[in-house]
Amino acid sequence: MVSTGFRMRPQRRSGSTEETSYRQDWLTAASPMTVLFGTLGWRPQSLLPSIRSTEDLERVVFYHSDHAKSRDARSKVMEFCRALGVTANAIEVSDAFDLLHVAGQIRADVRKERAAGADLRFNIAGGTRLMSSAALLVCILEGVPATYVHDETYQEIALPLLRISYGQGLTAKQRDVLSFLVRNRDKDFTETALAKSLGVHKATMNHHVRELEAKGAITRLSDPADARRLIVKPTPGMELLVG
Amino acid sequence: MGFDERHVLPSLRLMPYDRLVLVAGRETFRSSGFRRLKVLEPGLRTVRVDPFDLTDALESIRATIRRAAGDGAVRISASGGTKILTNAAILAAFQEGVEAWYCDPDPVRLPVLRGVSLAAAFSPSEGAIALALHGPIRHDRLVAAVAARGFARRTALGAIGSLAAKGLVEFERDDGTVLVRPSPRFALFRDQLRAVPKKA
Repeated sequence: MVSTGFRMRPQRRSGSTEETSYRQDWLTAASPMTVLFGTLGWRPQSLLPSIRSTEDLERVVFYHSDHAKSRDARSKVMEFCRALGVTANAIEVSDAFDLLHVAGQIRADVRKERAAGADLRFNIAGGTRLMSSAALLVCILEGVPATYVHDETYQEIALPLLRISYGQGLTAKQRDVLSFLVRNRDKDFTETALAKSLGVHKATMNHHVRELEAKGAITRLSDPADARRLIVKPTPGMELLVG
Repeated sequence: MGFDERHVLPSLRLMPYDRLVLVAGRETFRSSGFRRLKVLEPGLRTVRVDPFDLTDALESIRATIRRAAGDGAVRISASGGTKILTNAAILAAFQEGVEAWYCDPDPVRLPVLRGVSLAAAFSPSEGAIALALHGPIRHDRLVAAVAARGFARRTALGAIGSLAAKGLVEFERDDGTVLVRPSPRFALFRDQLRAVPKKA
């Protein structure tokens, strides 16, 4: 029996008891059902190899554009899934020209399935460049294993992505500060006001702000009304990191 | 860049730069779009990749970033070329922790954390596991091998758990013993794991 068992954590015990408990947790963890996500263009062949190769496949969720050829490909994928007895949800992305919008939509679906306890996979081979890039972005941010399918050989190739969310590159406190700034993007906060709002000392806030600035997550801008004041703002796109 | 330099031009207008490096497939360098770009940017440096092989493109772009990072900050515009090349550029930006933009047509900054590279996702004890793990190995032997490199037993156990959480090792019960084996994705990260700094 093989189990990835990544949900388990060692319990705080000592010596061999700890190790035994640790291993048993992994080995007894039931293998969850898998939901396969995919992006689909004009060729169903870009998605079918992943449907075939996914073990314990419960459902296929795929995104496609409103182009007639893409709708044809959708019908073929649905037919294939029906023949296998697998449920399939096709989602037509009407505005497939806005990267952040498409990524936000895909990420909401991914999070919903993950919250339901499913194991996730993503095939990013098909669809428009923007749709595929949005899917890759979600896989990076959410730590979803992703594959693409070679155009000629139809061989599935795994992408080097870890099963950890990209936001873990920030500490919990840094995430709190960034989340607050993203939620209040339309308001102006100085470091002192930020410290007061989040209930931390201003020296502590200064440390977090410097760290976030070094990582490019926020910028400090001069207040047009008072050049001595520095306003802290999240950089564009950071809502995807903490949203 | 693909055959149309118009994917590159918005990035040139938006992003200040000292040097421009163009990553593209062989056919692009024969295109009229490239010749026009070369006229605009005589100091243009080029890197040739297979634009239909994501693994090759990813490795080439990562190596290019590492070389360029020695001379200053690096920014990536991931808007031209094949879909695979774009995805490779996005992935490389996240793995190397460099600023990335997607300009098609409006510029969108991707949420990359500057300086947070893939190697930072691994601890020294996880690096020690990578050195000891070449195939299926008994769990207790792996812990002992990591401990022999100066790590506490608890640290070794935690590192194995962490690698499992990242999807890089799997467990298998074989006749009463527990085996740890590298997952199929482990090979994709072996270089990064080996590059992790050793224990101080």
